Amino acid sequence: MGKKKSAILITLLTLVIAALCFISTVSFNYGSNGMYTFNSLLRATDKDADLGGVYGAEGYKGGGFAVTYYPEGVITAKEYNDNRGGYADEAEKEEYENSYVAYHGGTLYLEKESVCGGGDEPSEEFQSAFDNTVKLLEDRYARLKKDGAELAVKDDYTVRVFLPKMMDASLVAFTVNSYTGEFSVRYGSNAESAPEILPALRKKTIDDYFKKAYSRVGADGTAYVAMQFTDEGKEVLAEETQNANTMYFMVGDQAAITLSISEAVDSKTLYVSSSAYTGETASIYADVINTVMKLDDAENTLKLSVSDALEFGALYGGNALAALYIAYGICFIAMMAFFFIRYRRLGFVHLYTYLIFTLIMIVCVYGISFLYLSLETFIAFMLVSLLLAASNIVTFEYARKEYAGGKTMASSVKEGYKKCFWHIFDLHVVLAILSFIMYGIGLSNLSLFAFILGLGTVFSGLACLGLNRLTWAAMMSFTPNKGGFCNFKREEVEDDD
Amino acid sequence: MTKRPIKMLPIWIAVSSVIILAGILLFALLGFNHSAERGNNKTFEVEYDVVVDTAENGIESLKDACETAFKASGISYGDYQQAAKIDANTGSETVGGKLIYTFSVGVSDEALAKAKAAVESFANETFEDAQVYADYHVSYNTVFTDAAWRAAIAVAVGLVVALIYVGIRFGVGAALTGLTLTVHDVLVALSLLAILRIPVYTFAPIVVGAVAAFASLFMWVLQCMKMRENFKSAEYGAYSAEEAVEASSKTAEKAIYIAAGALGIVLVIFTVALAIAGSQLGAILLPLVCLFPVGVSVYSSLLFGPALHVPVKTAFDKFNSKHKRRFGKAKADKKKEEKEN
Repeated sequence: MGKKKSAILITLLTLVIAALCFISTVSFNYGSNGMYTFNSLLRATDKDADLGGVYGAEGYKGGGFAVTYYPEGVITAKEYNDNRGGYADEAEKEEYENSYVAYHGGTLYLEKESVCGGGDEPSEEFQSAFDNTVKLLEDRYARLKKDGAELAVKDDYTVRVFLPKMMDASLVAFTVNSYTGEFSVRYGSNAESAPEILPALRKKTIDDYFKKAYSRVGADGTAYVAMQFTDEGKEVLAEETQNANTMYFMVGDQAAITLSISEAVDSKTLYVSSSAYTGETASIYADVINTVMKLDDAENTLKLSVSDALEFGALYGGNALAALYIAYGICFIAMMAFFFIRYRRLGFVHLYTYLIFTLIMIVCVYGISFLYLSLETFIAFMLVSLLLAASNIVTFEYARKEYAGGKTMASSVKEGYKKCFWHIFDLHVVLAILSFIMYGIGLSNLSLFAFILGLGTVFSGLACLGLNRLTWAAMMSFTPNKGGFCNFKREEVEDDD
Repeated sequence: MTKRPIKMLPIWIAVSSVIILAGILLFALLGFNHSAERGNNKTFEVEYDVVVDTAENGIESLKDACETAFKASGISYGDYQQAAKIDANTGSETVGGKLIYTFSVGVSDEALAKAKAAVESFANETFEDAQVYADYHVSYNTVFTDAAWRAAIAVAVGLVVALIYVGIRFGVGAALTGLTLTVHDVLVALSLLAILRIPVYTFAPIVVGAVAAFASLFMWVLQCMKMRENFKSAEYGAYSAEEAVEASSKTAEKAIYIAAGALGIVLVIFTVALAIAGSQLGAILLPLVCLFPVGVSVYSSLLFGPALHVPVKTAFDKFNSKHKRRFGKAKADKKKEEKEN
């Protein structure tokens, strides 16, 4: 490569790296009184529940929300005391006090009538209904397949749920997932008073009429909840929906989905859209219906009330993300020290290749909607960083061997690459296959981990076999002592004389 | 005289089998040690309102009161978080919040009740008209098992497909040895996690399994490359399968040690950084437990793998030479027939 071309290429690469470095890592305030904030890509990238960092002027990315579900008849000490304090009449107050029993050292108060069957301990019926309700909630939150989602039974009779903030619809999920009871369809002008049209006959169940609900997102971005009926269900709907009115898809006594219709329904699948639906929320609504359809005894579940949500910062602690950046920085310096010591100025070739690789990875994690920063992301990134470093070492060593044998530098690089090309290619293909298959089949954490591995492996291959060689050729054209540039030495030949 | 590692296949099998069997047994009896998981714990929660929120040093003094109460009760927490209250329907922030201290499940209710009384008494004395509630709770986390079995299938399918590629590029023998090694490495790494009872998050075994598959495949492909390159040379032509695999394995040693060493250093740096940052125990230990698969893959690629590959290569070499002979003989017979005709 000529000196001019090399200079242009190096300048361009330097500018690209500088620009990408700037937008990826530098955040600052601007405008009068620092009114606006420029967020770096790393700041703007989603973080999982475990990590977190500031975003914008007052925003925060990472952490999550938690709520507690209280079954009907189970209240907190605070609610009990507030209610008790509301009675001015002593007799009424006493009656209220007698209607509850303290549980778990006064953390919870259980209503004697509905929870304890008149006694002082929760009844077997309540326990069975609570177990069934927990099963329903477990199924619903498991279906979200969200990294960081947690569900725990708290104080025996409440359920605490945690969802990461990066999930846009976490608050919707908290509310909608509290709907319990059997699935039914009502038709009329008001959800409470509308008559039930499905299940239509007492001797039949909703399964005879309804198959399942599922979500779809159209090409224009509109999200739908699709309600799929059986032939029998379709017939009943056609008969019952002659007038313009509203269909209510009920879970217990809550209208999960409403659909206004102007003519008789004559289809086995109804697509319900709403301005409030996104792909995520549509899927939550569909699963709320599917989970009660799947549950054996959906009638035997408890009505739930949802507490105020609590907003949590990074669960690993406020300094965890900074610690990971510092750890990465230390590894980076150690790696570059190795390259500069062993290969002298050839280390710059690796530096350019590695920086471009890293910055592209940052742009991808920011730009690809389902990627985010987590500890697994860092581990996966470090694995592929190592792969790139190892691949570059292999190419350098092959060229070193050729150069030692007496070839010119250009010929050594060419021959070295020729000899190691298939090694590096095979290694990357094998690891990319493994990673992308793991991504395709795995869920949440593994899926993220594997995708970063796969993406990094592909970029590592391209960077090593393409970019590295190009940068090498460009940088080397400026020096007359090419062996010295790379710290390569000729093999000493014994002189017979 | 020390025995050569390549001749010690029965010993490597015995060592691995003992580890895997012990791991399976412990896993069946106790599972992994998920005590680092946030869900299984006792929490001490102090709910405060706008009065505390707006009072000068209100929250700080409440925190100090909690610390003092814990000390007086003789208990210490593992984790602390401050959470803001928001409306679950609108997402808008409401006034007040909660201080949440996490304790192990073993902490006594009496000690927590004593701390509760002390904190509430402090709040009543310090904040006029404030509503401060201290409570302690016990929680048991539910493990979503979907992710675990899907991860097992993902790793298994990924390995099989990747090794089909290895089979095409390096030979069926290399693929079969590779499959055995990667499955072995995943099992041994998970067994070590079960045996050593290191407290980890629920998802840690999934990450450990995936890292084991990745590292193991990486190391074995390095070995395969070296073998492919070395076996072409005339020098290796004179070697028996055992000598050839042993000699080739030695040439790959340096690369494997450097790769594993670098990865080990990276993982240790991450562990130390998280420890210094005061992260939760499960987070600190996650990079550390990823050292298991790295160590196991070094063992298997340098000791177990070459020893296992010798009989595999011998069998495939025999098979190949037999087929070559047969093909050669058939060709010669055909030529002879043609000549005769």
